[in-house]
Amino acid sequence: MNREQIVTRVNAALASQACAVTYLGSHVFGDTAVQRYRLTNGLQVLLLVDKSAPVVSYSTWFSVGSRHETPGKTGLAHFFEHLMFNETSNLGAGEFDRKLEESGAESNAATWFDWTYYYEALPKDRLGLAVKLESDRMAHLVLREPQVTSEREVVTNERRFRVEDDVEGSANEELYKLAFTVHPYHWPTIGWMKDIEAYTPEDCREFYATYYAPNNATLVVVGDFSEPSLLEKISKAYGALTAAKIPHEDTHPEPPQTEERRVVLSKPTPTEKLLIGYRGPALGDVDHAPLSVLAEVLFAGRASRLYRSLVVRDETVTDLRGWVSTFRDPGLFEMYFTLRDGSDSRSVLAELDAEIARVATAVVTDDELERAKARLELSTLQGLETASGKAEQIGFYETVLGDPSGVHRRLEAIRRVTPSDVRTAARKALVPTSRTIVVVKPESGGAS
Amino acid sequence: MTERRELPGGATLYALESHAVPLVSITIATRTGCALDPVGRDGLLRIALRMLRRGADGLSSADIEDTIDRLGAELAIDVGSSVTTLYGQVISRNVDAFVSLLCRLLSSPTVDEAELARLLRETRAEILEARDNDRSLAERAFRRAVFAGHPYGRSSRGTQSTLEGISRHEVAQSLATHFVRGNLVLAVAGDVSVERAARLAERIVMSVPQGSSTPDVTPEPAPVQGRRLVFVDKPDRSQTQIVIGGLGTSPHDADHSALLVGNAVFGGTFTARLMKEVRSKRGWSYGASSRLNIDRARHSFSMWTFPGATDAAPCVALELDLLQKWTQGGITAREHAFVSKYLVRSFAFDIDTASKRVHQLLDEDVLGLMPGYYGDYTERVLSTKLEEINAAIQARISPRDLTIAVVGTASTSFNAVRDACGELASATTVAFDAD
Repeated sequence: MNREQIVTRVNAALASQACAVTYLGSHVFGDTAVQRYRLTNGLQVLLLVDKSAPVVSYSTWFSVGSRHETPGKTGLAHFFEHLMFNETSNLGAGEFDRKLEESGAESNAATWFDWTYYYEALPKDRLGLAVKLESDRMAHLVLREPQVTSEREVVTNERRFRVEDDVEGSANEELYKLAFTVHPYHWPTIGWMKDIEAYTPEDCREFYATYYAPNNATLVVVGDFSEPSLLEKISKAYGALTAAKIPHEDTHPEPPQTEERRVVLSKPTPTEKLLIGYRGPALGDVDHAPLSVLAEVLFAGRASRLYRSLVVRDETVTDLRGWVSTFRDPGLFEMYFTLRDGSDSRSVLAELDAEIARVATAVVTDDELERAKARLELSTLQGLETASGKAEQIGFYETVLGDPSGVHRRLEAIRRVTPSDVRTAARKALVPTSRTIVVVKPESGGAS
Repeated sequence: MTERRELPGGATLYALESHAVPLVSITIATRTGCALDPVGRDGLLRIALRMLRRGADGLSSADIEDTIDRLGAELAIDVGSSVTTLYGQVISRNVDAFVSLLCRLLSSPTVDEAELARLLRETRAEILEARDNDRSLAERAFRRAVFAGHPYGRSSRGTQSTLEGISRHEVAQSLATHFVRGNLVLAVAGDVSVERAARLAERIVMSVPQGSSTPDVTPEPAPVQGRRLVFVDKPDRSQTQIVIGGLGTSPHDADHSALLVGNAVFGGTFTARLMKEVRSKRGWSYGASSRLNIDRARHSFSMWTFPGATDAAPCVALELDLLQKWTQGGITAREHAFVSKYLVRSFAFDIDTASKRVHQLLDEDVLGLMPGYYGDYTERVLSTKLEEINAAIQARISPRDLTIAVVGTASTSFNAVRDACGELASATTVAFDAD
């Protein structure tokens, strides 16, 4: 049976054509393909049958993240990541998790600047439960004072765990706060503490009504299932949900940064930390792949340039990392250094500057390029080992770039990167006036 | 289906072919771990393993790192009390070259004096840096207190003082003790046939000297008597990290499986008692769970929460009360039925990749677990009776004999936490930056 026939059969069994399914085509995904469908209410459905294990990954991606929030109400998108596991008008408190656990399922959620997603990983014979539970909480969440109060407590504790009592977490928050002035990447996904403490049920109901709707969501299902049977279940469960009028996003692009920004923090930490964020490209930008390769050459693994100079030769740094943010809008080329006791961030910054000057002058070697590409290929393949890994990649690239096969296209782009691509991208991005620096100093002056 | 093969010199291979992704994972495990580190030399075995990639067979440290990256490979180490693991993964087209590299590392480690000195300085810096991680500080304080004087209480990473002066000779000796053919168990999984995996594994085994495994003489740990509070004092904490527990289970106990099921009800799932009471009802901690660690001898049972500083004392009191009720009253028939379904059905995710499947057999082998420990797991869960579970909880978990490890700011939290602990045999405060 081909996909058109599947759709015809599914639609024929429906009570109302208001829930009808349309087949929109396939996307090559490695040596297989993702099938795209859409319900009349706008819900996108991406399916990939993979029978390598008797499990299914079911995820729901909403095109809403902290970028859609407003000052004073920051963190609401993340707050929903908690609220969505609570009561619905059809299910009592705690029942969502109980039913999933009773089925042996794993479930969780994640929120970031550009998106929010929820997932279940289930034994293949329990897939119907995910359809039922996810369709229910997309439309019937109960948002009253007790639910909001209880989760507010949990989230303030989560914030203490991830930010207030975490040196890297608090420094990273400061980096984005300073680097972005008008774009919503300025505030943290978890939200400012004072905003979290002030959420009301009304705030939550409004956010839910605005963004939690089928036409703002994409279902991604990967695993061992029957496509016709699943489509029938999805159309019956979600077909009656009403589309919402999704507001046009009102985001201001971040203006060019024309001078270095710097802040020094004091924390109870044994050694200095140095965070640097250069203005980086959006995930869809042509420079993203070359800069990702450059991040590998400079920071990744013990063969990288800065590991060799700062950790091995100079012994001034314990740990270093560098990566290019994978956001819809231009983000940061982030760099993180943990200094050794007695080392000073100025000497580390001087070494970094020298290395940046070098990559802007001489091209990276073929050997460095080969190693960087192999590392990126390995990490990409590792992300595709399980059904959940594949589903996450499909959902992420669909939500950020509108391309469910984006992970493979990105790998192709990385394979095409040339030494001159890297140099050109470095010249464009790694400009001192477009960087933000956060230095964390030990409160008591150091460990020794 | 995973195949078991005997390799030369008494080594064993578990291999499973899967073409889900073009990757091959290779695990080289030894039946011995850091419990064999000489007293006062905690961290020696881990240093010895890290030295493997710092020079071998004419290759410099830089040469080795270049090769690993060029092959699209990764190589990690894990040092436990009873088992040591070298874990590698590589893009399948490069598996032969990767195995050649592994053979060179294992057959002729250089153990260069200057590299060793550099690694020791690096490790000491990492130990210093670990003070930033409050959870690991709490776990370290807990482990040291529960297993005082026992090998399980020692650190595989070592301390500033035990790393001091580790010599080239000690490193070479440590490698020679652990990496002998009769002490090795290998697992190869992924995009490679079993026959080819066997040939690759044989090459690895032949690269180490002949020799047999050193018997594990780790004694059974003795229970700590009474409740003991260890408060790790760290400034400016808005939150606390709390680990509470004591001795747990041995995989050789007749009631081992029963206790695992009982623990799943208490703190092993998102809807377990701990999570429900601490997070869902009160919102005190983002996470709340309990676990039973598994090793050859009896290991620990522990609860973990991380409430805000003002909720720390009531959270400790609540956890102690929940523990008391669990050990006295056991679990209910309804909870038993529920968790059995969860454990049996969720097992699908313990075996959803070739690497996971093959590692279960490797674990059974190196830890000396009973055959079928994982393979028959779901049957054992289903056949465990409620009364067996409740008897196991009562017999194995003592709410009287507990270690309560807390990381927080003593000036604001110590007194309240101490008062919440009930009758204490001892209450001590240690600085977070103590060795």
